[in-house]
Amino acid sequence: MKIVTANRLSDGRVIYVGLDNEPVEHIDKASVLDDTAAEVVLAEVAGRPDVFVNPYLFEVQDHAPSGRDRLKERIRSAGPTVGHSVAGGVG
Amino acid sequence: MYRYDEFDHALVRERVEEFSDQVARRASGALTEDEFKPLRLMNGVYLQLHAYMLRVAIPYGVMSSRQMRRLGHIARTYDKGYGHFTTRCNIQYNWPALTDLPAILSDLADVEMHAIQTSGNCIRNTTTDVFAGAANDEIEDPRPWCEIIRQWSTIHPEFSFLPRKFKIAVIGAEKDRAAIRTHDVGLQIVKGDDGGTAFRVFVGGGQGRLPHIGQEIAPAVPAADLLAYLTAILRAWNLLGRRDNIHKARIKILVASLGIEAFREEVDKHYATLRHEDLRIPEDEAERIKAYFASPLFEALPKTSAPFDRALLADPDLARFARNNVRRHRQSGYASMVVSLKPVGGVPGDITADQMDAVADLAERYSFDELRAAYEQNLVLPHVKLDDVPTVWRALREAGLAMANADLATDVIACPGLDYCSLANARSIPVAQALSKRLADMDYQEKLGPVRINMSGCINACGHHHVGHIGVLGVDRKGEEYYQITVGGAPDEQAALGDIVGKSLPADEVAPAIQRTLDRYLQIRTDGERFIDTVRRVGPDPFRDAIYETLDATA
Repeated sequence: MKIVTANRLSDGRVIYVGLDNEPVEHIDKASVLDDTAAEVVLAEVAGRPDVFVNPYLFEVQDHAPSGRDRLKERIRSAGPTVGHSVAGGVG
Repeated sequence: MYRYDEFDHALVRERVEEFSDQVARRASGALTEDEFKPLRLMNGVYLQLHAYMLRVAIPYGVMSSRQMRRLGHIARTYDKGYGHFTTRCNIQYNWPALTDLPAILSDLADVEMHAIQTSGNCIRNTTTDVFAGAANDEIEDPRPWCEIIRQWSTIHPEFSFLPRKFKIAVIGAEKDRAAIRTHDVGLQIVKGDDGGTAFRVFVGGGQGRLPHIGQEIAPAVPAADLLAYLTAILRAWNLLGRRDNIHKARIKILVASLGIEAFREEVDKHYATLRHEDLRIPEDEAERIKAYFASPLFEALPKTSAPFDRALLADPDLARFARNNVRRHRQSGYASMVVSLKPVGGVPGDITADQMDAVADLAERYSFDELRAAYEQNLVLPHVKLDDVPTVWRALREAGLAMANADLATDVIACPGLDYCSLANARSIPVAQALSKRLADMDYQEKLGPVRINMSGCINACGHHHVGHIGVLGVDRKGEEYYQITVGGAPDEQAALGDIVGKSLPADEVAPAIQRTLDRYLQIRTDGERFIDTVRRVGPDPFRDAIYETLDATA
C-alpha cells in the first residue's frame, strides 16, 4: 500500500494527500492507497503545483512507512529525531 | 572589516528585488518548481526534508555584532529560534517559509549580507583561517585577498554556470587552519622571490564520493597576478571539465585524469595571456581593500595579565577553558577565544537566537566588534584583552556557550544528515550526540588532547569525514543506518585521507568503537604524541583491532 506525499509550496512543510485529495499535515490523516489508486492520485496532485511540490509515493504498512525509505519517511512525518536547538537546550 | 560601497549595496538590493519577484511568481503558480529551482539555488534556497532551507553567506567567516544580531533576529522572527553554522562558515536556517524569503533577504541586505552564491555551480564563499589578523604566526592577513576574490567572483559572468561548484580557501601562515588542500583551489600566502606577497597555489582538492588532496600547481604566483591565475585555472577547467556526470565534474577529477603536469600546462597557456590583461590587481586597489582590515586600535599591554592569571588560579573551570579555548594573539596582552558550539549532547553548529545576541554583545564590547565563524562549526572572538577573558568567559557560561572542548574529541564536525538533508543516507547528529555524551568527561578529553572527529551522513562529505583524524560516514544498508569508520585523515598542512578500517557498524556501536580507538591511543602513544602522530607512526591496524574487538554484529 502507498501514501502520496509532497512538500507544501508556501512553506515547504511535509504534506500528504488525504480525503478528497486534499493536503493534510499528519501521516495519520493520509489516504492509504493500492498501487493503481496511488498512481492516479499522484497524477492528480502533480497537476496542482500551487500546493504540492515534488509529489511522490512511498510504501506503508499499517499506516506507517515501510520499504527502503522508511527511516527517511519516519523522520519526515515526525520531524528531526534530534528535536530543536531552542533556549534551554536541545528539546 | 570590509564595508559595502555603492556598487555592493546596489548589487545586493537589485538581487533582493529580482528574487522577490521570482518568489512571488512561484507562490502564485506562474513558475513551476522546475523553472524556479535554478533561480532559488542562485539565492541559497534549498528544499529539504521538512521545509525550505536558506543558506546565508558569511564572507570568509567575518561578522560584526550588528550582523550577528540580525542573524538572531531572523532566527527568531522567521525560523524556529535557532540557526546552524556550516563547514563553509555560512549559517543555515532550516525552517523559513518561501513567502518570507524576500523579507529575510531584505533584512540581511540592511546589514550588508546576502545568500548569493551559497549554492549552485558557481564560486562559493571563500574561507580562511578563523584567526586571520590575530594569529601570531601569520606572514600576512589573508582577509583582504579573500575580499578581492569575493568581489571578482561575485556574479562573474564566465563563472556563473560552471561544471560544478567551486571552493577557494586562503591562509596567511604555514599552519593550515582552513583545510586549503581539501579545496578546489587552496591559496597560501608566501614571500615571492622579490620579497613581495605571493601565493602558493594548490589545485584539485576535494572530498565527496571521489576524494583528493590538492596538489601544488604553482609555488609563488605574484599577488598582483592572483586573479589572472585563478581565472586561468577556472577557464581551463570550465573548458575541459566534464559536464556529463555530476560525480566527475569537479576540478579534482580533471586534475587527476590529466595529471598535475598536463593541467599546469593548460593553466599556463591561459595565464600567459591573462596576466597581461586587465586582471592585474592595481597596487592602490589592493591597499584600499587592505585598509578595511587594518588592525584594531590595540592598547600597548604587557604579555601577561595579572587579573587573568589570578582568575585562572581561582577558578579551575576558567583555567580549563583557557587551556583549550584561548589562543595566543599576535598582539601582546590579547587573545582569541573559541566559542564552542558543541555542548554535551547538542547539535554541532547550532546556536539559538538568544545566544547569537549574547555573543554579539560580547564581540561589540570586548572584541572590537568582530566575530568569526570557523569551519569547525564554532565561533571565535578574535581580539579579546587578556584582562577581559574572565569576564567574557563568565558571560559565555551564562549563555551556555563556555564548553571548553575546542579541538578536543567532542568538538565534532557533523553535517545535518538525514534529520534534515534530502541527500543524506543516514543521520549524523545523533551519532555525534552519542559520542559527545560518552566522552563528556573533560579530564578524559584533556588527557586525549587534540583529536578531530568528523561525521557525514552521506558520501557528499559535508562533515569532512575523509580528513577527520577519525571519520564516520553514514551509509544505507537496506534501509538501516550503518557507519563506516576511517582513521588517519587530516585537514591541515599534512593533509591526508583517512583509511577505511573495515566493515561498517550499526549506529549504537559507533561511539563505543571510537572510545576504544581513543583508549588504544592512550595505551600506545609515546610522550608528547598527539592522536594523529600515533596513527601516522603505527598505521591503522591497532585502531582497527580496537574498533572490532568486541563486535560481532557488523554488516
